[in-house]
Amino acid sequence: MDTSDEEYVEPSSVPKEHKAKKRTNQENTGYSWEDEYQRTWDIVKDDDSRSLEAIIQGMIEGRKKKIMKLSTSPYQRGIIRTMVVIIDGSSIMSEKDLRPTRFSLMLQYLQEFIVEFFDQNPISQLGVVLMRNGISHVVSEVNGSPQYHIDKIRGLRSRQHNRFEPKGDPSLQNSLELARSLLKYNFGNNINDSKNSKEILIIFGALFTSDPGDIHETINSLVKDKIRVKVIGLSAQVAICQELVTKTNHTKNSNYGVIMNETHFKELLMDCVIPLAITKDSAPKVNEEKVPLMKMGFPTKIQPVTTSNLEPLHFCACHPTRGSDDTKNVVEIQSNVSNIGYKCPQCFSRVCSLPTVCPVCGLMLILSTHLARSYHHLVPLSEYKEVPKNDEGVYDSQWCFGCLLKFEDGLGSSRYKCGECKNDFCIDCDVFVHEILHNCPGCQ
Amino acid sequence: MDEIADNTFTEIHTAELPNDDPSLLTLILELSPGGWFNIKDETTILDVVKSLLVFLNGHLSLNNANQVAFIISSPTGAKFLYPNPQKEMDELRRPEEYEDSNEMGIPSLVSKGMYRQFRIVDEGVLEEFNKSINELVDADNTNITSKLAGAVSLALTYTNRMLNLDQSISTTTASAISSATKESTGVNTNTSSSSYQGLTRIKSRVLIVTPNDNEDIKYISLMNGIFAAQKMKVPIDVAKLGKKDSSYLQQAADATNGIYLHIEKPVGFIQFLSTAYFIEPSIRSLIILPTNSNVNYRASCFITGKSVEIGYVCSVCLCIISEIPESMKCPTCNSQFDDKIIAKLKRKPVVKKRKLENGGAEVSSDNGTLAPATPEPTPVPE
Repeated sequence: MDTSDEEYVEPSSVPKEHKAKKRTNQENTGYSWEDEYQRTWDIVKDDDSRSLEAIIQGMIEGRKKKIMKLSTSPYQRGIIRTMVVIIDGSSIMSEKDLRPTRFSLMLQYLQEFIVEFFDQNPISQLGVVLMRNGISHVVSEVNGSPQYHIDKIRGLRSRQHNRFEPKGDPSLQNSLELARSLLKYNFGNNINDSKNSKEILIIFGALFTSDPGDIHETINSLVKDKIRVKVIGLSAQVAICQELVTKTNHTKNSNYGVIMNETHFKELLMDCVIPLAITKDSAPKVNEEKVPLMKMGFPTKIQPVTTSNLEPLHFCACHPTRGSDDTKNVVEIQSNVSNIGYKCPQCFSRVCSLPTVCPVCGLMLILSTHLARSYHHLVPLSEYKEVPKNDEGVYDSQWCFGCLLKFEDGLGSSRYKCGECKNDFCIDCDVFVHEILHNCPGCQ
Repeated sequence: MDEIADNTFTEIHTAELPNDDPSLLTLILELSPGGWFNIKDETTILDVVKSLLVFLNGHLSLNNANQVAFIISSPTGAKFLYPNPQKEMDELRRPEEYEDSNEMGIPSLVSKGMYRQFRIVDEGVLEEFNKSINELVDADNTNITSKLAGAVSLALTYTNRMLNLDQSISTTTASAISSATKESTGVNTNTSSSSYQGLTRIKSRVLIVTPNDNEDIKYISLMNGIFAAQKMKVPIDVAKLGKKDSSYLQQAADATNGIYLHIEKPVGFIQFLSTAYFIEPSIRSLIILPTNSNVNYRASCFITGKSVEIGYVCSVCLCIISEIPESMKCPTCNSQFDDKIIAKLKRKPVVKKRKLENGGAEVSSDNGTLAPATPEPTPVPE
């Protein structure tokens, strides 16, 4: 009887214990799968005092204001940049936590980055280095033409030759040394002299590096050469990267970001488009050392005559070999789309896209508009301030100066005033003006 | 149910006819006293405004949902003439008020029996136009620089709102579409919360009409505007009246795929407007446009003001100079240039002479080195 009683009691007591555990778990925020399903929309409660819509409106505005990254104080920036992007091609990059794989997403974003980079930094140069299987490869040489880099990246992406699929271990030291030599001994034209801003951007997926020597020596030589390194980590922070970034930038501020998701990855990457401010450490030296002057050509545009149906043949000096494999033509005949050409003022050879370095005489060819693209980095627009109510408790303005939107009486003031011209703008105009236009409509 | 039905209907509609999208036309008229004085023998500002109104009406009549905006760039500042948020768009004058308006000096261009849309736009523009002319007369004429860059910025902020945000605005003419959406989607369509309810994708373009011969436009601000327009794919058309070409506006039109026309004799201005500027950006690729082919993109020297073919660029502030100043300092940011690099820049002709002796590529290198480079006046401390 005794034994049977015990046997009988046991099974009923066990679930009790379980239940008790479950309860304590719930109280100490236990496993989410044990929790009751929470519907997020149940949490939100309508406040009687204000409409839900106004609250959401206010939240959206706050977020927009936060997202907008403003750098209003005019720093001296290294406008002429030479950047080497080191991309990770080790086996960890075939990981599928970013879709479709880390590697292909990185390449896709890198293409967009290159376009944006040259759009904002027209007189800068870029090179791409791939670290794969313990060694580093030059994907594209340091060059000022966006199309060249994009073609090279496309080559990496294309599935036909899987020569560059992610493989092996990454080596930070090897690729840093390669990048350093690219940055240091990059000869060719005069804009690449020693005093431009030299940067390395590493997109690092792995959590380790397998190096042939002492990476600390490499870091020290990078510091000596005034090369600044930024790192974007795809999985987690790595101590050596942190050290690398801190030492080369002379500051504690984080040029080392680890991505949270795809959008964050893109954000971090696009942050690198903005030219770096010259840090306090290097600024006085630059002034003492005097600034370089660059010789540049401003070519004239040759436009085709559109009146006749017969298109004259156009030859350009920049693509002498393209298409030669198929047609055996030595000189490419330009397609209809791009029969606009530019004439180098020094040697009168024809090139088909700008900015570029003249393939014949090595002169940097540029349009004045390209230079103008960089001006807003030098003279940033001042920030708009949120408008408080005036003495009578109402707002002075009723409409956005920029787009004539009627201000709603929401939560906040939702008016943003320009300090110069005292005009009020809505949040969307504020974002647009600071991110795209770089021009206050009221001040001009 | 009605909502759902409405939405699907319009979606199908837009998918089938992508070229029937409404478009926004933003007109910028520059009111520079000097410029208009110079062409007083050819035309008057009133004639031009008349033609522009016909043009606007024509644009409105092309599509029921088309929209217009009219910005004036007067020396006192850029501002919207139409749409005017201070006036309710449904507010129409009663016939007896017309006599008042005539007293105010509004020419009787607007007849009572006119189509309502036209009347709203025309009245709005004319009334505000007269006001700003009067303001201009009263203002002191000490500061009469062009405010065109501000006007372009205004046009773009407005366009940005129309492209991305709500199109159901109480101040615009698309009453047919917007009132329909208001009925179907409820009351709150005039807040920006309705940004994703925009049923149709609107296209947009800007037309600048200016007689201003002084190149006193703020270059950097205008360039910023041009780049923004480029990004938004908004073409900027330019009608330059008067004797001189405007190289800045040429660049604006060329960079944004707009049309630039230099109209020396703007007699019958409406003819120009209706032939060249009426064409929607979407069909421009199909039509040979009367635009000029030779855009002068050449930079101008910051010191001499002359255009430069081969120049030097300061690496700190990006200013363009045609010759190295004797002080070896940048004229705008005052930073000292590097002597080594300057010496290197000046050494170039010597290297090429050797090539000449060798007899290779004589003609091209000869032209190239002698014509633009060799900033002779400055001595070289080597």
